[in-house]
Formats: sequence, C-alpha cells, structure tokens
Amino acid sequence: MKIVVNRPRCEGHGLCEEAAPQLMHLDDDGELVLDREEIGEADIPLANAAVRVCPVAALRVE
Amino acid sequence: MTDSAPPVSDLDLFDDEVLVDPYPSYAALRALGGVVRLPANDVYALTRYDVIRDALGDWEIFSSAGAIGFNPAVNEALSGTSLASDPPVHTRLRATLTANLSPRALRGLKKSIDAKADALVGELVAKGSFDAIDALARAFPLEVVADLIGFTGHVRANMLRWGQAAMQVIGPMNQRTAECFPIAGELYDWCSNVTADDLAPGSVGRGIFEAEARGDIPPGTAGHIIHQYLGAGVDTTIASIGNIVALFAAHPDQLALVRENPSLVPAAFNEVLRYWAPVHAWGRRTTRNVEIDGVLVPEGAKVAILFGAGNRDPRHYENPDEFLVERNPIDHLSFGYGPHGCAGQGLARLEAHAVVEALSRRVARLVVGTEVRVPSNITRSIEELPVLEVVPA
Repeated sequence: MKIVVNRPRCEGHGLCEEAAPQLMHLDDDGELVLDREEIGEADIPLANAAVRVCPVAALRVE
Repeated sequence: MTDSAPPVSDLDLFDDEVLVDPYPSYAALRALGGVVRLPANDVYALTRYDVIRDALGDWEIFSSAGAIGFNPAVNEALSGTSLASDPPVHTRLRATLTANLSPRALRGLKKSIDAKADALVGELVAKGSFDAIDALARAFPLEVVADLIGFTGHVRANMLRWGQAAMQVIGPMNQRTAECFPIAGELYDWCSNVTADDLAPGSVGRGIFEAEARGDIPPGTAGHIIHQYLGAGVDTTIASIGNIVALFAAHPDQLALVRENPSLVPAAFNEVLRYWAPVHAWGRRTTRNVEIDGVLVPEGAKVAILFGAGNRDPRHYENPDEFLVERNPIDHLSFGYGPHGCAGQGLARLEAHAVVEALSRRVARLVVGTEVRVPSNITRSIEELPVLEVVPA
C-alpha cells in the first residue's frame, strides 16, 4: 500500500501529522513530507487515520 | 437503484425559532432520515454525519456552481468565486485564495496573534465585567483580520456590519436577506474599487495586489479575494469565539480540564465547533439522480447541508449533546470537508487557540448573565453575553 498526496490540494493544515507523526511531518516551510510512502499492513490504520482527518481531502491510501 | 422518495417534513429551516435554537429540529429531521425533503424551503436537507461528509467530499454529484446560497440573487452575485465553482475552475481560484491564507502562509503570525489575545483577555479579566461578544468575540477577530489585510479608516469601522450582511444574504429571500443586500452591496462595491494604496504597507492585502501586479494571479482578482476574506471570515470567527466564552462559562469543569492540561486547547476548540456549528445551512445542487441512505434524490435538486445536525449525530458521536473537550472531535463538520473545506480554517484555529489559551491561563471561572440570540439566516451566533464576574486564575 502507498500514501498519496494531492499536492495542489494540500494546504499544510498539519492535522495528518498529529494523527500519524510516524508517517509524515510538515517541514520548516510548512510543506508535507511523507517519511514513509510505502506502508505495510501494520501501518494501514495509522495511514487511514491521517486520510480521515485531512480537512481538504488531499490524502489517500491506495 | 431504489426509487423510494425521501421522507418529508413541514419544517421551515429559516423560521425565527428554528434559527435561534435549531437543535431540536435537527434531531427531528435526523430521526426521519439522512436526507429529508423540505417543501417550505424547496430543498433536500442532509441531516446525518456520514451523509453530509460523503456529500461534501463528492463535488461531482454535489455541485457548488450557482448553488451555495438559498436565493437566486446571491448565487448570481457569487458566481466566479471559488466558493461557488467546481473543479477544475475551483482548483485555480482556491489556490489563489489560499496562497496568503493557508497555514503555510500564516506560520509567522502565531506569536503576534497570541500576544494580542493575551493582552485583550488580560485587560478584560482586570476589568471584571464586560460583554463577551462586543469586547472579545467581535473585537479580537476584527483587529486580527483588519491588521492582516491592512484595513484602515472607515473600512475598519464597517467590517462587522459588512461581514454580517455577507452571510445573511446567503439565506432565502426573506426580510433579513432583503435588508442586508444593500449592505452586502457596499462591501462588494468597496472591494471592486479597492487599490493597493488603500491597504497598509506590508499587509497581506497589499501582498495580494503585488501578486496581481507580478502576474501571479489573474488581473482583477485581488479585490475578489479581499471580498472573500471579509465576507466569509469575519462573522463565523466571531460566532465561534463567542461560543468559546459561553461554553466555558456554562461548563466550568471543562475549562478546568483545559487549565490542568493545556495540550487540550485544540481539542477544546474542535468540541466548541462541533457542539455549536457557526454555519446553519449551506447549499449544493445535484448533477444527477443519486441514492442517499436508500432514497432517491433527483438530478437538479437543491440540497441544504446542515452541519450542526451532522455534528450531533449519535451514529457518529457518543453522547453528542454533551460538551466534552476530551473527545477531541477532529473530524467535526463545522469547517465543511474536502475541496471546499473552509479556506480560512488555519487562521480561525490560530485565533481561537490563542483565545482558549489566554482564557484557560487567566480565568478560573466566568459568571455570566443571560445570553441574547437573534435569528440570523446562516451564521448562528450569540448577540450579547454579559460577563458579570471573572474569578481569576
């Protein structure tokens, strides 16, 4: 499975980082960085939590 | 696909009594179904959490084009804005709007906003009695937004009535809407004629004009962006800051939890927004026949999204009528969701977190008088809230 960011849609609200700090963070410029793009079975609930809280629906897991 | 029709209710969403306290009506509509047809308003109301969130995420079926307001004149006036358009046009307009408004753009402001909130709350605590709406809920966001956009002189004085009118006219063509159209028109005229020189040097507003001059945004769009900042960002923020004060006053135990654990500040604001949604109803139009919760909504139907009804849906939140800051309902619907999710939510969070922080640091308990509410088409807010006594921390 893979986490995918819709870059034009991401505005850097940062709620995903709060939900899944192990998988992603905002850098010093407020840009979202995926620390792990490819995720295993164990991380899927965490990734889904990040997808769930994105207020502009800019994240998905596929 | 089923062909069963949605349940029908004779409720009028914009009736005075419903507007002042919509929660009993929301519960009744939710009990009827996830979607309920309201002939009084010629809309299909979305009432349950999942139905609302799915609709907000699906711009292809639930279009915003010419559809967010509840009268034709306002939908005409809003055409060409990001608010009232669908992708791909929306994507470009939204990027222009958020270039200066996203959390990314606003990161540098946190310190000054925190300092403003702390100074104002400190002053009010020392005073001991004041009107929480005028002295805090209105004063603070007006100052923040005026300084941010660079408003000076008579514009500063007009921000409150312009911002209120811009939301009021989104309702159906009732007396409130008719009375507010000329005031919303003043705002529109001013924004159509504003130039860089009208805005303070170094402000975000001046920056938008500089972006236009550089060709970063299309010619003629700077005024529209300022219009959206003022029209969408003032009245709703005032409502939510007033709600923070009222809910902390009514629930001292919840204020105490935030005082003991300041990391609950964002959670407390999420719960304030969930518990009392600042926006009552918002429109969409279906682009094709769609089945919702087992019933059929026809193509071209006007849809009313009831954020506050979804936020109190027991199918999604346990004990939804309890105000509990620790539940941290981060997925509440009050900012909308998806491509049209509130563009100013980053700024709203900066302002509200600053107020919650300052209150929880300086106040142990608030003794308040009776809150006054007046019916308003779209924004649900408190009109007056006398603070009679502050028990300082």
